[in-house]
Amino acid sequence: MAQIEQSDKGGKKKKGAQKKMQIHVDFTPMVDMNMLLITFFMLCTTMIKSQTLHIVLPTNEDVKKEQQAQAKQSEAITLILDTEYEGDKPKIDAETGKTIHNIYYYEGIADTTFSTPKYLVREQFIGNVNHQPQGIRKILRDKNKEVMAEYDDLKTKWKNKEITKEEFDQLAKKNSADSTKTRPVVVIKPGPNTTYEGLINALDEMQINQISRYSIELPTRTDSLLLRHYEQAHGETIIRPTVR
Amino acid sequence: MGKVKIKRKSTLIDMTAMSDVTVLLLTFFMLTSTFLQKEPTIVYTPSSVSEEKVPMNNLVTVLVSSADKSGKLEDPSSVEGKLFISFTGDADSTFSSEKIRSMMLAEALNIYNEQHKNNPVNLTAGQMAEFAKINMFGVPFRELPEFLSMSVTERDKFQGDMTNAKVGIPIDGNRNREGRLNDFQVWLKAIYNVAQRINNEQTEGLTAEERANVQNLYAALMRQGQGIAVKADKDTPFTTVQMVFDNLQTMKLNKFSLMTALKSEDEPTN
Repeated sequence: MAQIEQSDKGGKKKKGAQKKMQIHVDFTPMVDMNMLLITFFMLCTTMIKSQTLHIVLPTNEDVKKEQQAQAKQSEAITLILDTEYEGDKPKIDAETGKTIHNIYYYEGIADTTFSTPKYLVREQFIGNVNHQPQGIRKILRDKNKEVMAEYDDLKTKWKNKEITKEEFDQLAKKNSADSTKTRPVVVIKPGPNTTYEGLINALDEMQINQISRYSIELPTRTDSLLLRHYEQAHGETIIRPTVR
Repeated sequence: MGKVKIKRKSTLIDMTAMSDVTVLLLTFFMLTSTFLQKEPTIVYTPSSVSEEKVPMNNLVTVLVSSADKSGKLEDPSSVEGKLFISFTGDADSTFSSEKIRSMMLAEALNIYNEQHKNNPVNLTAGQMAEFAKINMFGVPFRELPEFLSMSVTERDKFQGDMTNAKVGIPIDGNRNREGRLNDFQVWLKAIYNVAQRINNEQTEGLTAEERANVQNLYAALMRQGQGIAVKADKDTPFTTVQMVFDNLQTMKLNKFSLMTALKSEDEPTN
């Protein structure tokens, strides 16, 4: 490995002069070992930490009817979630490579007389297209416009460094819970086909649209009726026969 | 004809600089790394815009196994929805992971044996100590003695086999807090009790720092809802996740977190 090279330039050296030594150490094995260690550490580390989404659910204890907060009919919006399946796997969109989630929503209380022909409306989680909210995000945003208008103001202020991040967070929280504004009450009902991702997407929309009042409930008989009606009206099958 | 002289060049390359770089890289990786905790199964969490980080300390993780993706099984969904729990304490405080785990185990065993008086589960001191070393576990109480007598490799192999009916904490039945609890509820009750107890009893005669540790742990587990994180695969049916939620609600631990990966608001959803 380590070689000591004697440099002799011709034989015309004076006697007694110190010999010049050049030391070469071969570092190749050292590099090899280091590379192995690096590979090990790279494979064993997590650089990206997971994020969390906080959720507060009601307890299972019976709550009396009088104690339940009653939402105004005009403020209520119910989202029935659904995920498209292909066989026993969620259907993947060929273009985007993502799972297809559908949302069937209605406003106010459920109309079981089906007097309005297209009572349930289908929407999807599209997100933003060119920074403009689309799909269900647009609908929820419109429902919550008063809060969102102030939220956008706050955001601009924060971007212009007029307020700090902490102040922004605090004001945004206060704003989303401001009872003087018209705010929607969203009921999220994950249907029998829904995957966990569909639920997280819905919860995400709540956060993006600054909706502070929402709840997760299981679909009722009325909701299945509405879905059946939608199936008949559109000639589609939404509820799979073999739902686990 | 004059001979063409080919100059012989030495093939030795000076590796010193290369070695310097690799050592630097190595140092970087060593300092920034947190080791991946061993989990019995791989789940891909859905993404969300929430920017809150998963806390490193004082965390109870509930892992929900996902459907088999290798395509080896005839019914991939048969291995879905098995539960695993992991307790993480705070290495800097009096409540290290090991201590938390033994406290939880002792409490959970108490609750379990009280409900199954005729057929209690008894663990030796050695098995109890072994439990404190395990990061993530998912076996019913009945299987605990056998599970804790295994060697580390045997245990990993045992837990990694999702088709085994003995793997996964039982979760079904009982929506009543007073009735006979299922195994998962026993663990949840243990979490609840331990958090309450250390908050009530142990604060006396402690230094200010120790008291702060107690309060941190209590707050994480109970009040702020950051102490319990549910980790499930994005393709897991909601009905499976709902079971976990339902049990948490029954046991009054209705504030908790869901583990997600990060994405930006502008990214297309779905």
